Amino acid sequence: MRRSLRVAAHLAWRILMHEKARSGLALVGVFIAILLVFIELGFFIAVPQGGMLVYDHMRFDLLLVSADYQYQAQPWQFPSARLAEAAKSPGVAQATPIYFAGISWQDPSGGVRLDAFLIGCDPAAQPFAVADIERQKEVLAKTDTMLVDDLTRPIFGPLTTGRRVNIDDRPTVIGGTYHLGTGFLGLGVAVMDEANFFRVTHRREDPVNLGLITLASGADRDKVAAELRRKLGDDVQVLTRAELAAHENAYWTLRTSVGLIFGSGLVISLIVGLMVLYQTLATQIARHLPEFATLKAIGYRDVSLGAVVVIEALVLVVAAFVPAALAATALYGVIRSQTLLPLTLSAAHVGVVLAAVLIMSAGSALLSLSALRRADPAEIF
Amino acid sequence: MLTTSAPSGLSLPRTRVPLAWRNLVADKWRLVRASAGIAFAVLLMLVQLGFERGFFGASLNVVQLLDGDLFVINASKYRFGSRDPFAARELDRIKAVAGVADVAPLYADWMDFFWTSPVDDKPHLIRVFAVDPDARPVFSLPGIADQQGLLKPDDSVLVDSRSRPFLGMDGPAKEAKINGQTVKIAGRFALGPDFMSDGTVVTSARTYAKFFRTALAAMPVETAVVRLKPGEDLAAAHQRLAAALRPGLRVMTKPEIVQFESDFQAKLSAAAPIFYLGTLVGFVVGTLISYQIIYTELTDRLPQYATLKGIGYGNGYLIGSVLRQAVLTGIAGYIPAWLLCLAVYKIVSDIALLPLVMTLPLTLISLGLTLGMCLFAGVIAVRRVIAADPAEVF
Repeated sequence: MRRSLRVAAHLAWRILMHEKARSGLALVGVFIAILLVFIELGFFIAVPQGGMLVYDHMRFDLLLVSADYQYQAQPWQFPSARLAEAAKSPGVAQATPIYFAGISWQDPSGGVRLDAFLIGCDPAAQPFAVADIERQKEVLAKTDTMLVDDLTRPIFGPLTTGRRVNIDDRPTVIGGTYHLGTGFLGLGVAVMDEANFFRVTHRREDPVNLGLITLASGADRDKVAAELRRKLGDDVQVLTRAELAAHENAYWTLRTSVGLIFGSGLVISLIVGLMVLYQTLATQIARHLPEFATLKAIGYRDVSLGAVVVIEALVLVVAAFVPAALAATALYGVIRSQTLLPLTLSAAHVGVVLAAVLIMSAGSALLSLSALRRADPAEIF
Repeated sequence: MLTTSAPSGLSLPRTRVPLAWRNLVADKWRLVRASAGIAFAVLLMLVQLGFERGFFGASLNVVQLLDGDLFVINASKYRFGSRDPFAARELDRIKAVAGVADVAPLYADWMDFFWTSPVDDKPHLIRVFAVDPDARPVFSLPGIADQQGLLKPDDSVLVDSRSRPFLGMDGPAKEAKINGQTVKIAGRFALGPDFMSDGTVVTSARTYAKFFRTALAAMPVETAVVRLKPGEDLAAAHQRLAAALRPGLRVMTKPEIVQFESDFQAKLSAAAPIFYLGTLVGFVVGTLISYQIIYTELTDRLPQYATLKGIGYGNGYLIGSVLRQAVLTGIAGYIPAWLLCLAVYKIVSDIALLPLVMTLPLTLISLGLTLGMCLFAGVIAVRRVIAADPAEVF
């Protein structure tokens, strides 16, 4: 068995090396098939990853949200008393509120009145793991001053420090910018400290939109979460980071058309990839049919010829996979800059694609075997 | 040497044999396989192009349904879907302009109305339009235009049966809750969501004002929809209207307001490059598939091509035949893909609630891409025929 496998591997290698140009062409075909799968996967995960962007840069172990919570930009609200209760709970180091508001943004000289997203927070509680925000705490403390995300779209005008902008008709100064990304909060996002936020939005400390809970060192996350769930009543939910990620991912994939559109793209890419692989392998076999028929005539069985084809397929896939993954990394960069979504290629994604194409190539190799099985030594010549 | 036909000195017939066609249909199964391969690539391109148009179309949909000759909005509005209303007293000034037959107010809000879904019993942000039930319809959409009379009783609404399923607007419910207040569902229309709004509710101006605890007369207007008297010159009326209004307002024709929204979408939509990249991928994959198909075909028929060459047919004739066959293969793949795509568009637009429609430009662009990829593949593959040496093949 092992010997026949070695013979098959040797044969497959000889076939591939025999006509290097042809094999190179097949390699290009497989490369594109794999790249296609990577691209469609990228589109599929780009939107949910974009939805998690701002959360990924917030400091919390548990998130307190309303029972009616939809997703980040539509969090609804809950009484700040829940946050105070949570703060007193054992194992909780800090519970700090986050306020959200949709605001209008207009240059004092007139012009368009744009919609922007405003985040209110207590900078002393260090809610954001964003260096630019931490560095500019004193700026946030100034009256009627805000920090603006530097990926706010150009339509909002220059984000120069000191520029005056009317936020909900209240003169406000851009105190500086920070680098985070707007996710799906809006075309423009700004951060204010609580005092400024309440002044401009006419809101109070109660109710709040999100509660960031950090644990005391050594506290067991799941125990604290269970305790909070038991204690806080049913107008709020307590989410771990993993639960939050699952919730946001489900929102973007299932509630919007994203899942269907990019999911169908992903399925199509798998089918097309399968066809490209099949075409490539079938062509290789068709070209070597006389040789295969000869092998058959001198006693090789279908199974060992099948092994040759499968090995050939796997070699092609593995050889094409590495450049395809590299090209995908570069293309993800293009998607990042074009769509401003924080698309990254994780090891898990690479693994999933590799597994998928290996299965696909083995499948298409087996499909192309039917031509081989028909190969009749007597007819070929 | 390349010649376009058989050498005239020989008594070969200037062949009437449609070689490309005969080759194409010689092996039915091979034809099916080839067209299936190409059809997949075509379908991939068509779906990507359709999505791109669909995403764009969804945002433009409601603006395209506005029914009037001229539209007045606040000059500071940067897109249709942003609340930036102007004082209702401007309506009287508009009405007084010469040539104006009537003016209907449209009130709209995207950020303040929450619909309690019967599906999960949670509040969801929705888009609300409010119209005067006694005025001429503002939207030309069936279900709104012909049912706005049902909005005359207070607290009545029309709901969008094509809104996202989690809102539960398509069910049989007769009542619903908006911002905690019970409203009566008087009828349904089919509009569909866009990027911002998952669902739409239409109500009367009076009910709308009640939600804001404001008297109707004091309720600012989002858009004034103006209709001119028959035979009025649009450009002249446009100028008269603009001159009569205060400077902070902007007058637009229907094409202008559609352009206004489509400019905004084109500038800020992040989706378009994704779908263009998807189309490019389809094209590359299609080229590869066609190349494989044509190459295999040529390899199998190499003895025949060599024979033709041997009896005196020039390369030009053979190249022409190969390229013709490439085009025919492309068309053979394109037609089933186009038909299948109609079904795909229908299914996807029902599930994704996006307006995916096959249009002539979409057909022509995708056909052009299909023929392009097949010809490109044919040109690369045909070198094999040129290189075929009659003496060597056998």
